[in-house]
Amino acid sequence: MNRLECLKELVTWIDANVPVVTSLSSNTAIWATLRQEGLNFYGLNMGLTVGFSVGLSFAFPNRKVVGLDSDGSFMVDSSALITMAEANPSNLMILVFDNESYQLMGPTATSRATDLEKMAQGAGIKNTATLRTLEEFIRVVKPAVKETGPHFFVVKVETGTVRLKSDARLTYSPFMKERFVDAVMKHPDYWGKKASGSF
Amino acid sequence: MDQESGQLIIEILKEEGIDMVVTLPEEPTFSLTEAIRDDPYFTSLTVAAEGNGIALCAGAALGGRKVMFVTGIAGLMVGTWALGQAAMAYGIPFLIMASYRGDIGDHSGIPGSQLMLFKQVAKPLLSTLRVPFCVVDKKSDLQRAIRDANFAAHDYSSPVVLLLTGEVLW
Repeated sequence: MNRLECLKELVTWIDANVPVVTSLSSNTAIWATLRQEGLNFYGLNMGLTVGFSVGLSFAFPNRKVVGLDSDGSFMVDSSALITMAEANPSNLMILVFDNESYQLMGPTATSRATDLEKMAQGAGIKNTATLRTLEEFIRVVKPAVKETGPHFFVVKVETGTVRLKSDARLTYSPFMKERFVDAVMKHPDYWGKKASGSF
Repeated sequence: MDQESGQLIIEILKEEGIDMVVTLPEEPTFSLTEAIRDDPYFTSLTVAAEGNGIALCAGAALGGRKVMFVTGIAGLMVGTWALGQAAMAYGIPFLIMASYRGDIGDHSGIPGSQLMLFKQVAKPLLSTLRVPFCVVDKKSDLQRAIRDANFAAHDYSSPVVLLLTGEVLW
């Protein structure tokens, strides 16, 4: 399965008010190409996507929040699965794009014995799946966008078949964060409207 | 931490609109985090590791929540990667309340070599990560310290750490 094909589908299933978080590298490059406007926090460094997405889900409890991680990044802090299960945010969907490799630097443990879906199940997350074809991805993820979660999906994808280059100013710089904050403050569900004080 | 300090902190958090508290339970602040957990005003979350707790706070804060992470010096050390990203890479405003383990006055029974490690590492670690901090050792200073730290976090666009010690903690 090809990561670009999956994300081309996903971007059509979510509206502009859905916050999306991406890990660095391929997820950022592809997502920044497909969705340049709206609530996108691109390029989180290794091991931070799941925890950050859980936190964001508590700021937007009435919206689906989507976290796009990758196997190498995810495995830096797999204990975030336990935090996700404990927090149990019904609006959160995590997709781990698992190409079983550190790009050009060789295979990850998921190419051998490590099963990320079983780890999620062991942590206590009930809605999980490992998806191996685009048809499976569409059949499982599309309805899950509208369903109660949390969801944790492992999406098995090919290695190195998509080489997009994203604009670093829009995806990794303080300017990216400022764009995100600006979108948060304009969001109809912005929590700061309910809480006292400013952002 | 005694009940008086805990209740004082809870009152100030409410005044500041900080309604989300995240922790990995540790002994010196346990009475505080338990009282917060029992108070319906707060969204209270327990995490499995400090790194994902700090990442969680960063996501909640950037989403508009007023959030605080409660930990200790060991937790700050474990969470260094996430803290460095939140502070230096992105500049995300939220409070961290940390028991200043190893400070003079810590009679907790933890081996002295560990206390010495915490004492020696705490401030240099935060300085290296460019995380602003202040030490609070008097109950009478708590209100102003929390208010000022909350203001500074948003003013600086950075996590700000309150290191609790002295009569506030021991």
